[in-house]
Amino acid sequence: MKGGVSRTGLRITTILVSIVVGVVTVILCCCILLFLNRYRSAMVQNALTTSSQAVSQVSNTVGNYLEDMEQAMSLVEWSILDNSDDRNQLLNAFLIFRPDVVAVTGYSPSGKLLDCWCLDREPREVIYQNLSFDLDRARASGGAYMTAPHVESIFEGYYPWVVTMTAPLESGNQTAWISLDLSFSSISSYINNVSIGQRGYCFLMDKEGNIVYHPQQQLLYAGLKSEDTTALAAFADGSYADDTVIYSVTSVVGSDWRVVGVSYVDELVNRSVSEMIRLSLVLGAALLAAAVLTSFLLSRLLARPLRGLADAMERFETDADQFTYRPVGGTREVQELSGSFEHMVLRIQRLMSTVREEEVNLRKTELKALQAQINPHFLYNTLDSIAWMCEQGRNTDAVKMIHALARLFRISISKGHELIPIAKEIEHAESYLQIQKYRYKNQFTYEFDVDPACLDYYCNKITLQPIIENAINHGLDLLVDEGCITVQVRQDGEDIVFNVRDNGVGMSDELIHSILEHGPKDRTGIGIRNVNDRLKIYFGKQYGLHITSEPDVGTCVEIRMPKIQEGDYEAK
Amino acid sequence: MRRNRWVTIWAALLCVLLCGCAGSTDYSQQHTVALVVKSTQTEFWLSVFAGAEAAATEYNLNLTIIGPDTEEDYEAQNQMVADAVSAGAEAIVFSAIDYENNAAAIDAAAKEGAKIVAIDSNVASEAVSTYIGTDNYAAGQMAAQAALERVGGTLRIGIVNYDISSANGQEREQGALDVFSDSGRAEVVSVINTLAEASHAKRDTASLLTAHPEINVLLAFNEPTSVGAAQAVEQMGLSESVFLVGFDSNVATVDGLQEGSVDALVVQNPYAMGYLGVESAYRLLAGQAGEMERIVDTSTQIVDRSNLFEVDSQKVLFAFDSH
Repeated sequence: MKGGVSRTGLRITTILVSIVVGVVTVILCCCILLFLNRYRSAMVQNALTTSSQAVSQVSNTVGNYLEDMEQAMSLVEWSILDNSDDRNQLLNAFLIFRPDVVAVTGYSPSGKLLDCWCLDREPREVIYQNLSFDLDRARASGGAYMTAPHVESIFEGYYPWVVTMTAPLESGNQTAWISLDLSFSSISSYINNVSIGQRGYCFLMDKEGNIVYHPQQQLLYAGLKSEDTTALAAFADGSYADDTVIYSVTSVVGSDWRVVGVSYVDELVNRSVSEMIRLSLVLGAALLAAAVLTSFLLSRLLARPLRGLADAMERFETDADQFTYRPVGGTREVQELSGSFEHMVLRIQRLMSTVREEEVNLRKTELKALQAQINPHFLYNTLDSIAWMCEQGRNTDAVKMIHALARLFRISISKGHELIPIAKEIEHAESYLQIQKYRYKNQFTYEFDVDPACLDYYCNKITLQPIIENAINHGLDLLVDEGCITVQVRQDGEDIVFNVRDNGVGMSDELIHSILEHGPKDRTGIGIRNVNDRLKIYFGKQYGLHITSEPDVGTCVEIRMPKIQEGDYEAK
Repeated sequence: MRRNRWVTIWAALLCVLLCGCAGSTDYSQQHTVALVVKSTQTEFWLSVFAGAEAAATEYNLNLTIIGPDTEEDYEAQNQMVADAVSAGAEAIVFSAIDYENNAAAIDAAAKEGAKIVAIDSNVASEAVSTYIGTDNYAAGQMAAQAALERVGGTLRIGIVNYDISSANGQEREQGALDVFSDSGRAEVVSVINTLAEASHAKRDTASLLTAHPEINVLLAFNEPTSVGAAQAVEQMGLSESVFLVGFDSNVATVDGLQEGSVDALVVQNPYAMGYLGVESAYRLLAGQAGEMERIVDTSTQIVDRSNLFEVDSQKVLFAFDSH
């Protein structure tokens, strides 16, 4: 920043955007977390409901199956009590009517297989093991009982899975027990097809936790999968969710079987929750983006005109002269600020030009005053010299002196113009040198080296004379040898450079400094300082005098000014 | 310049947020997996398919199942692999008929970008990410052990194996042979290689038994050869004198167990092979290859008359879906 002032404090854009984004982020985070939390618990609830519904459906189906079996059993019991011919017919009709009944078998009190009714099949002659009847269990249980699913083992080459119901018949009958084998495949394929979500499933277990039927029996058996049935057996009917799995347990009415539904939190809950997380993140990001954009726009609306104003002020600070004010748009407050600033700028610029004009006027007045009182001592001496020449009869010299004096005054006045052609200025200097040369009795010589191309340009009048006067007074007056003054005028690019060189005693740096700062105290007339000031006021800081001096070698004064055509600066 | 820095910071923040949102994966994409097996007929393979389909449903995969007509036709299998890849299969669950001759086709499929999972029988390819199946050498040892435990005296052994180029059969045979030679009371009389088809196996077993009547222990190393061997033993009335150890579950061999023609079965877990094979394919496609093991041993179990109808054996031997 200008002037090395480091500015602390944040820009309005930064502050605004940070605040908005911060607030929006916090609110969004809170909302999303709250929402996701509620959503997740709703989803878990939903999954539990789904799971328990599926399980109760399975339970109903299995219950119906068992009930159906009991009905079939009562039908069989009723048929079997009939006489022998009728019951064969009845049972065959029953088997045709009920294809899911695999076999009906009758047993003697000692557990011997007496009868077997089955469509198109006869039991083996030697039955290795009959899974459909267990004498010990039949005796132990008072009434009818049901087995777990097992393979029908009394036929050759036919091993369907069945559930057997065994019921005692009234005593006195030849057949003491009757077993009904009902195909289990309808239930097993039903259970196989139950899915809870993508991967969830159901299985059947008994009250002790032994698995009655599991769709992935083989995996369980091979130890590649396991069910924690002992823990499940301890659960009451209902749904239970842990981190990964949801269990639903329902008892089957009228039996000691229980249906267990297993489903996965991951697919039922986590998947939709993570879907929701994604969605809310996208929404959140969009909202955040919108907030950022809005705050950006807002801050631009506020900060941009302010910054424009600040920039304008900075430019004004750097270069008040050349600054042209352009109004800054924006909010009304900014416009008001801008208007005030414009007023101020115009005011300051007006003041500045007034000050400069006053300064120029001051110098002009000063110059005129100086011209008006141009060294009476010089005039007296010159007139004295002329008078003395006349007395001696050196009329020609006297005439030259008078001419030179007249030229000097004429050019000094120049009808009140400040700028005169360089040719005139040279003439002025020459006249002065002529007079001084007579007065100093040819103690010095002078020569002019002027680039003719420069003659038509203009310069401030009485520029060379004070320099030459200084050269004579400070350089040559004290010199024993013959002095020499050289005036050189040449072009340097867009500038014109005057050089006034003498071979006098030279000046010390202090003297140069005091001449430029204060002007000579001992002499009246237009000082070197006045020349320098005028050049700077008229043409700018880069123009003016430059003095180099070396003791006993001489002094060189360089005057630099721009090329000026007639009329360029007359206005001033 | 301070302002520009802030702008950059905010822009970067937004970018990070948006990228984070865009970076999540799509769940709904369905992968295509081809299951190329040795046969589509036997109960063993039907059980594999059941497992594979269960896994495909569970993991939402588009599963196609193909296999040649005979268990010797490795060229047809190679063609199927190529067809499956050109039809867009991203992963192939493969059971090789021929350990060596299937390798080129599998390498080619892998070069096309397909992930390879081997089940049941492996293939000589570096592209196989994981092998899921029976530890065949151990299964062979198990079969031999079953015979040694149940038969006293000197064992004179006949082995009915299938295609000699199948890695499975050879490993099982090697396992059995090693156990027999360690026992010191067994003598392998003859080893035959027959076609993996019951009627062929039956004929070849019958001629083996005729040529070597001293045989008292017979080992058959897969389902069709077991069925054929059981039929041959029964037909020749040798149920009592010949101790037959078969492989896998089939209605015929289960009947044979009850009637005496078959004395023990080494039962593999085909359902698990199918299920885990497809599951592994899914994991490979889902980019979880790092968590997978190179070899997964599905369990093997010995079933004989004494445990035939135990609950666990029933579940191993009899699929729920078959009626």
